[in-house]
Amino acid sequence: MLQILIQGLLLSGLYALLAMGFTLIFSIGRVLNLAYGSYLLIGGYVYFQFSQVMGMPKLAGVALAAIVGVVMGIAKFRLIVKPLKGDHVAVEISTLILAVVLQAAVVLVFGDSSKILLPIIPGVKWLAGTAIPYSNLFAAIASWLILIGLYLFVRTTHTGRAMQAVSMDPKGAAISGIDSDRVNMITWAISGALGAVAGVFFASYTQLYPGMWVGPLIIAVAVVIVGGIGSIIGTLIVAHIVGFMEVIVSAWIAPELRGVFTMLLIIVVLVARPRGLFGREEL
Amino acid sequence: MSFLDIDKLSAFYGKAQALHEVSLQVQEGEIVAIVGANGAGKSTLLDSVMGLTKTGGVIRLGDQVLTGRSSSEIVKLGVGYAPERFNLFPYMTVRDNLLVGAYTARDDIAHNLDMVHKLFPRLEEREHQETSTQSGGERQMVSLGRALMTSPRVLLVDEPTIGLAPKVCLEIAEVLRRLQREFGVTIVITEQNANFALSLAERLYVLESGHVTASGTVEELRDDPRLAEAYFGH
Repeated sequence: MLQILIQGLLLSGLYALLAMGFTLIFSIGRVLNLAYGSYLLIGGYVYFQFSQVMGMPKLAGVALAAIVGVVMGIAKFRLIVKPLKGDHVAVEISTLILAVVLQAAVVLVFGDSSKILLPIIPGVKWLAGTAIPYSNLFAAIASWLILIGLYLFVRTTHTGRAMQAVSMDPKGAAISGIDSDRVNMITWAISGALGAVAGVFFASYTQLYPGMWVGPLIIAVAVVIVGGIGSIIGTLIVAHIVGFMEVIVSAWIAPELRGVFTMLLIIVVLVARPRGLFGREEL
Repeated sequence: MSFLDIDKLSAFYGKAQALHEVSLQVQEGEIVAIVGANGAGKSTLLDSVMGLTKTGGVIRLGDQVLTGRSSSEIVKLGVGYAPERFNLFPYMTVRDNLLVGAYTARDDIAHNLDMVHKLFPRLEEREHQETSTQSGGERQMVSLGRALMTSPRVLLVDEPTIGLAPKVCLEIAEVLRRLQREFGVTIVITEQNANFALSLAERLYVLESGHVTASGTVEELRDDPRLAEAYFGH
């Protein structure tokens, strides 16, 4: 029982970080960024290349992954989302294609065999009969710190309030002097950084391989659909529902089915409560 | 030269033309009302000043041309807007709604917040309430307050009294008068309610199906049949 609690908490913290970048874009830009998983993919490989192959300090590798995520986010907004303004289906198709293209690029550069990331912090802590790798603990704590920082940023800064404003009422934001293109670009940059850092943590949980963008994308979609848009707290809660569900399913039923229940949850919520558990009416 | 000068403004929504060469002048410190029935183009006119529609013609504020600029630049140049549907941020508190208004006027926050709280003491009492849970009158106050937080030189108010109880209408009218008198804000309102417009404004424009059909001072227009026509529609 305690095992499940510990593993659930660790995994959920990471899922919350992973989903947050996706929810932000969906809430503020109203765009389903199906290339979101490729931030995780590229972030993981950037870290691998700089910290593991070239031997740079690990935190510098994480920071570089975040920077590459920012650049990717801004490029996606400028080159795809803005020119396709308002055409959601076109954005979804092109982001999905982009994700596949990026996967091919990764195969070309790094090959398609999977790589094991060395732990960010080596070592294992035994607690209640469970082995907790320090790097997982680090990933969970770092995720929480990043999320708290993001929450404070969105709640207390002018830019953060402008992000909320654009998501709730674009006309109201415009007549308050907010340039929604600028706010959107900042949101894409933040989303890219969150995704890339989540990618480093996610890859050290599992493995680094060219197809690793799909799993996290499904988790992010699940969190958005189950949680509903526009709520940071809702995203956190649902990330825990999904995280704990996976841990419980692998412990009690079969590890192979962990992802299946997440997808079933998406369908159940879509049918029973299309707005999501925490979604808001007008958004 | 007038302070706010709208010259031969035409506005389009898609292919439909909502305004036909509307010209309108507002002097600094004045309250001007645009009176017209539903669908006459009043909201389109104010939206166009804010750069929210496709327009032809020229709009100037002081020596600056507003036409062709983004809404965000127009706000920075000193136009504040309280739209008809308020367009508030429903899941943000009253205070946060006001602070969003300060996005381009961050140095004036203390001064403007003080002014808004003086004009609407209720907003200070309710500062932590989400606007989605507020009454229509309170939302109108937040909307006006948010517009004032942009440090406007001219304030556009679309239908300040629509859907509000008579007592609240009087309160809003009093606030608009105080804004003009005590804070020197130039005000343009639109109204369906001609009596409200006559009691508040110094000059009126009558708008019908996208054309200005009459204009003049309150005395000149008080008994003008065109005003009644616009008021009741056809």
